[in-house]
Amino acid sequence: MHELTAKRAGFRVGVTYQLALFILLVFLVVLFGVIQPVFFYPDVLFNVTAIIGEIGIMALAMTFIITTGGIDLSVGYNLQLCAIVFGSVFARIHNVPAAAAAAVLCGTACGLLNGVIISRTRIPPLVTTLATMNLYRGISMIVAGSATYSGFPGSFKAISSTFLFGIVPIQFVYLLVLFLVFNLFYARGTLGRTLKGIGFNENVLVFSGINTKRTLLFIYTVTGLMCSLAALIYLGRLSAATTSMGNDLNLQVITAVVLGGTSIMGGIGSITGTFIGTLIIGVLRKGFTLLNFSGNIFNFTLGVILIIALIAFALLEERKKTRSRAKS
Amino acid sequence: MTKKRVVTREFVLGLIVLAFMGYMSLTTQFSSRNGLFSMMLDVSPTIVGAIAMSLVIFTGNIDISAGTILGFVSFTAGQLAVDGIPMILFVPAAILVGMLLAGLNGWITVTFKVPSIVVTLAMNMVHLGFYATFLPNSGWIENLGDNFTWFGRGMFFGIVPYIFVVSVIFAALFIFIMKYSRFGKSVYAVGGNRQAAIYAGINPDSTVMKVYIVEGLLLGIAGLLKAMTRSDVLPSSFQGREMTFIAAAVVGGVNIMGGGGKLIGAVFGALLVYLLSTAMIYMGFQDYYQFALQGVIILVAVFITVTNFGAFRKKLTGNGPTREGS
Repeated sequence: MHELTAKRAGFRVGVTYQLALFILLVFLVVLFGVIQPVFFYPDVLFNVTAIIGEIGIMALAMTFIITTGGIDLSVGYNLQLCAIVFGSVFARIHNVPAAAAAAVLCGTACGLLNGVIISRTRIPPLVTTLATMNLYRGISMIVAGSATYSGFPGSFKAISSTFLFGIVPIQFVYLLVLFLVFNLFYARGTLGRTLKGIGFNENVLVFSGINTKRTLLFIYTVTGLMCSLAALIYLGRLSAATTSMGNDLNLQVITAVVLGGTSIMGGIGSITGTFIGTLIIGVLRKGFTLLNFSGNIFNFTLGVILIIALIAFALLEERKKTRSRAKS
Repeated sequence: MTKKRVVTREFVLGLIVLAFMGYMSLTTQFSSRNGLFSMMLDVSPTIVGAIAMSLVIFTGNIDISAGTILGFVSFTAGQLAVDGIPMILFVPAAILVGMLLAGLNGWITVTFKVPSIVVTLAMNMVHLGFYATFLPNSGWIENLGDNFTWFGRGMFFGIVPYIFVVSVIFAALFIFIMKYSRFGKSVYAVGGNRQAAIYAGINPDSTVMKVYIVEGLLLGIAGLLKAMTRSDVLPSSFQGREMTFIAAAVVGGVNIMGGGGKLIGAVFGALLVYLLSTAMIYMGFQDYYQFALQGVIILVAVFITVTNFGAFRKKLTGNGPTREGS
């Protein structure tokens, strides 16, 4: 399953890196476990896999986007808008399937809007999604006002409060299935190669007769769809839709992807890395909660981690570049 | 050389701003003393901030942490003022904080060649986390005395706020610098075509670094202009101001891809963004419509800037410029 085909002038996300990431994950678990022995309890450990459900799903799709050299800053507020749409539709007609369909439709439409703007105009992804981020946030505030939607039935909450074999949270199962599907497309299919090609040099692909616009439209739409699924899972866990949910998910998703070894410049990436990156973020969040640290310290740490990861990868690429130059 | 056009984009934008003001003064209380006074009070920090953001965008970069840098600046100024430090000392100290933070963004972007948007996005979170974790009371300071607010609330002839005069002076100064100085030309060159700039003997890295430091200076001033009108300071309230700055810049015709646009446009953009949001308030829309409005403004403005309408015009009329330059 390891992704080894992504060569970009000799760089790849190597197995070594993923192993290092995995060791970091184990180290963090042991560290938190030593400080707070309750961390080693199976239900606490499995709770880590429950709280990463929504960011994990969005991070998988975000890996596709960042591999093309793009970025989607609107995911957090897209999730918020989907949750608000779900809440407000449910409050009116009290029908879970209809409300869920509306949320999924809304998320996909938001993703489609991003995709259309990015693939059909020359507006760069970061500006597009920076603007649509505010747009979605504004719309969800307009729809909700100061309302909080809650009181969803137990049958809906079951989508993310069921446990497989009595211990494995169901959202981790969703995440695993989606991980396998995304990894299949990314590592085995032509889609993955096209994405890396776009990240490396889009013009070459265009002149090879590949419709890169359609690919871009597709992946941004898929990201929108994933945001709506993440919103449903998140809602099942939180059981209340407010205009403050999803505010800081952007950074967590991007950090998971960058930490996983996907280059922010595009061209190289790894779904497995993203998966491990997501787990690391989950462990940090759970660990910080157990140590009674506030969410602000978590965000602060996450920001620092993201900057350090960016710098580390930049230095690594620089070193590889000079080494390959010295060889030739 | 293209011949100099009288009807530039900025000229048209200025006319739109004037027409907008005229319309609003006919239909609302806008042209009353209070309306004009609060416009000058509110728009001053936005003008300086939009200039700061435009400089960064000229080089092809961006700064998402501009809003939270304003928070640090105002906290520094407020804390020092509470401790009884005179204005002559706390103003430079606050500006220095702005320069250091923006300089850090620039340093990481330049040294490690990482996209500025991701660095500054992460910085945004780091700053917000810092306020809440390390500053006493999350940086909230109240009961600031006259030694802090006299400048922000002072006015000439009972109508023109001091801070508006400051922002106009800085706007004029930077419009002049960008138009005539060597530094201004090199900023456009680096953003327009980095490789060509290198061949012309410009060091792009040091130019970008300088621009970030100048941005920090301007953000320091913008933060002070905003903070000194009030007797309390809450750093996290500045979160999101960067979107207003970006909106003002792109509405003013600053090319988000770098290398194009004029500062006078950004000044008009700041006015227009203010007028639009004020108009919405007069029309009875809630405050939170602003987010959606800013998103749409940025999209439309960027679309107009990056789409090559010159080619379209040429197709229609058979002549016309093929590309809008700086």
